[in-house]
Amino acid sequence: MITTPVKLWRRGKKLVNHIGVKGELLYWTIVRVPPKNFADQAPYPVGIVRLGTGEMMVGQLVDWTEKDLKSGMRVVAVMRRITHEDKENIIPYGIKFKPL
Amino acid sequence: MVGIVSYGTYIPHYRIKIEDIARAWQKNPADIVDAIQVKEKAVPNTDEDAITMGVEATVSALRACGLDAKKLQSVFVGSESHPYAVNPSATIIAEAIGMGNHYFSVDMKFACKAATAAMQVTAGLLGSGEIGYGLVIGSDTAQAKPHDVLEYSAASVAAAYILGSNKDELIAEIKEMSSFSSNTPDFWRRDGVRYPSHFGRFTGQPAYFAHVLGEAHALLMKSQMQPSDFDYCVFHMPNGKFPRAVAAKLGFTKEQLLPSLTVDMVGNPYTASAMLGLAEVLDTAKPGQKIFFVSYGSGAGADGFIFETTKKITDFQKKTIPVSTQIADKEYISYLQYLQKTHKL
Amino acid sequence: MNISIIGAATTKFGELWTSSPRELAKEAFNSALAQSGISSSKVEALYVGNMLGGLLGHQENIGSFYAEELGLSPVPAFRLEAACASGGVALHNAINSIKAGLYTTVAVLGIEKMTDAGGDLVASALMAAGSDEERGSGITFPGLYALMAQAYMSEYKYKEEDLAEVAVKNHFHGSYNQKAQFKFKVTVADVMKSSRIADPLKLLDCSPVTDGGACVIISSDPKIISKNSVSIVASEVGTDTLALHKRASFTSLNAAKDAGRRAYARAGLRPVDVDVAEVHDCFSIAELIAVEDLGFSETGKGASDLKKGKFTRGKGKTIVNPSGGLKACGHPVGATGVKQAVEIFEQLMGTAGEKQSVTDAKIGLAHNVGGSGAIATVHIFKKNNF
Repeated sequence: MITTPVKLWRRGKKLVNHIGVKGELLYWTIVRVPPKNFADQAPYPVGIVRLGTGEMMVGQLVDWTEKDLKSGMRVVAVMRRITHEDKENIIPYGIKFKPL
Repeated sequence: MVGIVSYGTYIPHYRIKIEDIARAWQKNPADIVDAIQVKEKAVPNTDEDAITMGVEATVSALRACGLDAKKLQSVFVGSESHPYAVNPSATIIAEAIGMGNHYFSVDMKFACKAATAAMQVTAGLLGSGEIGYGLVIGSDTAQAKPHDVLEYSAASVAAAYILGSNKDELIAEIKEMSSFSSNTPDFWRRDGVRYPSHFGRFTGQPAYFAHVLGEAHALLMKSQMQPSDFDYCVFHMPNGKFPRAVAAKLGFTKEQLLPSLTVDMVGNPYTASAMLGLAEVLDTAKPGQKIFFVSYGSGAGADGFIFETTKKITDFQKKTIPVSTQIADKEYISYLQYLQKTHKL
Repeated sequence: MNISIIGAATTKFGELWTSSPRELAKEAFNSALAQSGISSSKVEALYVGNMLGGLLGHQENIGSFYAEELGLSPVPAFRLEAACASGGVALHNAINSIKAGLYTTVAVLGIEKMTDAGGDLVASALMAAGSDEERGSGITFPGLYALMAQAYMSEYKYKEEDLAEVAVKNHFHGSYNQKAQFKFKVTVADVMKSSRIADPLKLLDCSPVTDGGACVIISSDPKIISKNSVSIVASEVGTDTLALHKRASFTSLNAAKDAGRRAYARAGLRPVDVDVAEVHDCFSIAELIAVEDLGFSETGKGASDLKKGKFTRGKGKTIVNPSGGLKACGHPVGATGVKQAVEIFEQLMGTAGEKQSVTDAKIGLAHNVGGSGAIATVHIFKKNNF
């Protein structure tokens, strides 16, 4: 993932549009072999979420337990660090989904 | 008249039992829990930090009062764990909640009293008529070196307060405030060093107690009041013992202190500690009740406030997520998972 | 205009530590050229399908790179990139250039070197085929297809064992392929026991990381095309949203479905006419979706048809992935689309050796997909009968 401060800056402006918006989990998978930079978070579920606004998003599920992984589960969009491993660069914040 | 318009708190989902930490280091769990009087503490997930938690608490505070974020004219973030040494938490949070560009802002530091100091500065801006609404956030992912005694209490929470100067909107008024400081090196962290250091028993009488008591006496004198005039008292809670001891020393009763004692089930989230305790009181206080509040920050200083709730508080309580509800929403993790989530592995 | 394949070859597919991309390209091209019987001076242009040359090898300007390596300079040379459909898209453009009357005889090279880089870098690089939002979610390609698998299994009431049958069939086919990366057979139990990569997909549901090269020489010159050739009667490309979650369906790839529909129409053929097909089984679920998108199975029936042996050599009518597919033969991403053309050529010509899975076959089809379905190519081939 190539994220530069400028790209993060442009993307960061859109966070406010999604933080706190509720949605529904449609499908999910549990990623057990993570890509570079996500190793410290694995295993983690990634799901397709339909927001209350109708918008479709894909994102990591956080603060989850097995029983939360059900089609139709209610979730809320929250702001979290996308990755943690890079200690020098600008911190990439993004949207993840928390079970309600 | 300046006071609190709204507040919001955020406690992360995960908890670790203090007895499990003790067991990991082959200490007697009962001895440890008894000594610090903390049962479990809140642990952030790998992808949380003082900024993400600050956003959660602020979203909560805004939702509870329905205020448009663009009306906030200042944002001060107090923390001991700002994600950047240079790059403001304040602007990142401000953008995430939609504050626009026209606001006063700065990140603040003074150990555990950084956020209460921010409240005093905000009260000044409000009182002078410079702003109409100000946002104050206390947020920490408190770090402790494994095997150090701080590991049993260092926790993570964020608390956001929206202060204002429109009498009709306040749920609690700030009746009085003052502050007491001295140069006292009880607990510190040098630049570039990962974990804080402290000097054991020196953090007690000459540090916490001297300053909390120093400020408390000054505040009581300034306001011409005595402990029995208050319905509640809230103190900074580095563990379960210190606030109980200082309350007793000042002449407050257990009943006055208990409603604010979040430390037993949450731990010590540094800058958010006293603010969380205050929130728990405000969750259930009745109109016209008086709250005595003194925070503490190592290095050292104590910020004091006298709050009085208004008639508006009853309605407000219906719109907030109570601290007790958040404390109950939890999942226990093992010591190994705790080390993973706090990036020690 | 009859555009036909006159020569086709692949290298061995696998972890080819001692082979550089240049060596793989030369080997595939020289073999294909030798088979075609023409000299390299007759090749008027070079089309290269390659995805990761830049991301993993820091090499761009790839058209020229391979024109030089194959001794073809100063002819025109182009590199096409469409993630795992780079090969199919290169072939499509080569065909178009002949149709446009620019050239008569063209070489199409598919080439990929994946094992020079570490596994996690390869996984990240492959996500370049997805969208920004998908990359930010921490999902991988197995993860994206796992989401499709979940949707497919819940919609049509299948189990993970039904998906495993794809790996079983393709390893069975691959066991006859000398050039395949994996020649061992697997059982459903083997697949179910293999470690989970992205639930519900397990290691043996996923195609491997592979090095390899493939080349076809195509021509419209009636003097060169003889009985020993296979004509390309349709070459279609379809696109769809980059990101999976923006699609209209999670159990069908409309890019492939639409390209297939247009290909059948252009060739005047129907799915039932296809004797042999190479489809894009990057993951077990992908083959099930492919046979439905291509009309070999009704919607939702792909898994049950496969289980009944409808696509298996010796049992079925339309043999799917006689090479072993991406799963057993291997998936050097940019090369796969061209390798599929090579395989169909050999199957229709009857020169597939041990892996010959059809007799007197007339019609073959190749289905090549990029990313999670953002782009797809469908080619239909017909044995020339002069």
